[in-house]
Amino acid sequence: MTLPPIGVWIAAFLTISALSFLYKDNPFFRFAESLFAGVSLGYYIGITLDQTLVPNLIEPLAHDFGKNWDLVVPGLLGLMLYMRYVPKIGWVSRYALAIYVTYYIGLDFTRRIHGEAMPQVARIIQPVFGPNPLAFVFVIGVLSVLVYFFFSREQGPVTRRISRLGIWFLMISFGAAFGFTVMGRVALLIGRLNFLILDWIYPILGI
Amino acid sequence: MRRFLERLLGLDRRWIFLFVLLSVAIPIIVPIGLPVTTTESTRKAFDFIEALKPGDTILISFDYGPSSAPENDPMAEAVMRQCALRKIRFIVIALYPLGGLNLANNAVAKVVSEFPDLKDGTDYVNLGYKDGASAVMRRMGDDIAGAFPTDQKGTPLSQIPIMKGIASLRQVQLVFTVATGIIGEWWITQVHPQSGTPVIIGPTAVSAPKYYAFLNSGQLVGMLGGMKGAAEYEKLIRARYPEMARFYTTTHDFTATKGMDGQTVMHLIVLLFILLGNSAFLLSRRGAPR
Repeated sequence: MTLPPIGVWIAAFLTISALSFLYKDNPFFRFAESLFAGVSLGYYIGITLDQTLVPNLIEPLAHDFGKNWDLVVPGLLGLMLYMRYVPKIGWVSRYALAIYVTYYIGLDFTRRIHGEAMPQVARIIQPVFGPNPLAFVFVIGVLSVLVYFFFSREQGPVTRRISRLGIWFLMISFGAAFGFTVMGRVALLIGRLNFLILDWIYPILGI
Repeated sequence: MRRFLERLLGLDRRWIFLFVLLSVAIPIIVPIGLPVTTTESTRKAFDFIEALKPGDTILISFDYGPSSAPENDPMAEAVMRQCALRKIRFIVIALYPLGGLNLANNAVAKVVSEFPDLKDGTDYVNLGYKDGASAVMRRMGDDIAGAFPTDQKGTPLSQIPIMKGIASLRQVQLVFTVATGIIGEWWITQVHPQSGTPVIIGPTAVSAPKYYAFLNSGQLVGMLGGMKGAAEYEKLIRARYPEMARFYTTTHDFTATKGMDGQTVMHLIVLLFILLGNSAFLLSRRGAPR
């Protein structure tokens, strides 16, 4: 019989501490919760420093400043973000934040138009009574849901019925999404129990 | 019967938790081996990779963390095993900050130990983690070395054989994103329109429904939806490569196929409780004064 390593014991203790909340709130759960939040933040800072800032900023500047001098600009913008912790010059961080936000708006705008809106609209342009028997249901579903979300005008007797149909389509899709969510959450439990049984209990029992 | 159903209405929910726990734990200890049926989205993903030629390159992006590892790990491992069998080269990256890199390292180490012929730098490479997923993808669309100047070990990309002739995402034959959250969606909505590179996604079950829209519009080649999708992929691999069964029949290792036993039993328990709870509620309403 080989006892599992200390890391497995700690992980098992923290797993049981986290699951103990299902019985009732207790200090073990709070300890595990706080530790998780702290470790996550520390890990995020460490990995960003080690995997992004060092190879993409510090090393290129240290090895060949002449060729990589332009990296000083994003480096300074990054530093400027932290100026908000110095009250007297806190306004400086707004410039960096403005550039950051602008970049991502530009990126996201293109992404939404080219990656989502256009291909999805193109997909619904198809023969309603073509070879695909579900195309009719598909088009009716899209139109009725769009009518449901049309809030600019008060709904009349006809549009109210169409939007009612839209609600049914929405409910069916929410039901499917909820079913998938249950499956996803159970998968997390399966993962933890697999760890407890296969990596912790089995080695202790020598199985 | 009526009294039993009425007592159910006041049942402490912790009893339900205990039932759920047992329904998931018992199939882990005593695997049932329930059948797994494959869906079109998973078959499309499998067939696409099968159709790639030996020497082609795919990018595998670890865009998930430990919280969804039971769903996502089996997908990543299955695809890497398929690549190893088909002599398809793979580039590994991680864009999820909290643990994506560790999971990528673990999965690569596991598959490399199973296929000792795989050579680092020639058959696969691990480029590590980079922060700012969306901006990293944008950069990789033009210049992979701009986003990842070195691999995980610090070797410059220009000195890595597998990266010869691969300057941008346009030169890889497929992006496989194993994802939780929004990062997987960005590969479809941002990278695919820019570079035209086909994308397969392995999302968690929670995010799977939204990807059906991308699948229907042709923006995705295929999808492995949650643990069920991973189990389907494992089945397809075992059917095509019987020698791979050794990875999926062990009782001492976790597989999605095994996980689906627990899923199925637990779903039956939930269905039973929904039926009993609603019956009890309806009976109590019928007996109540109006």
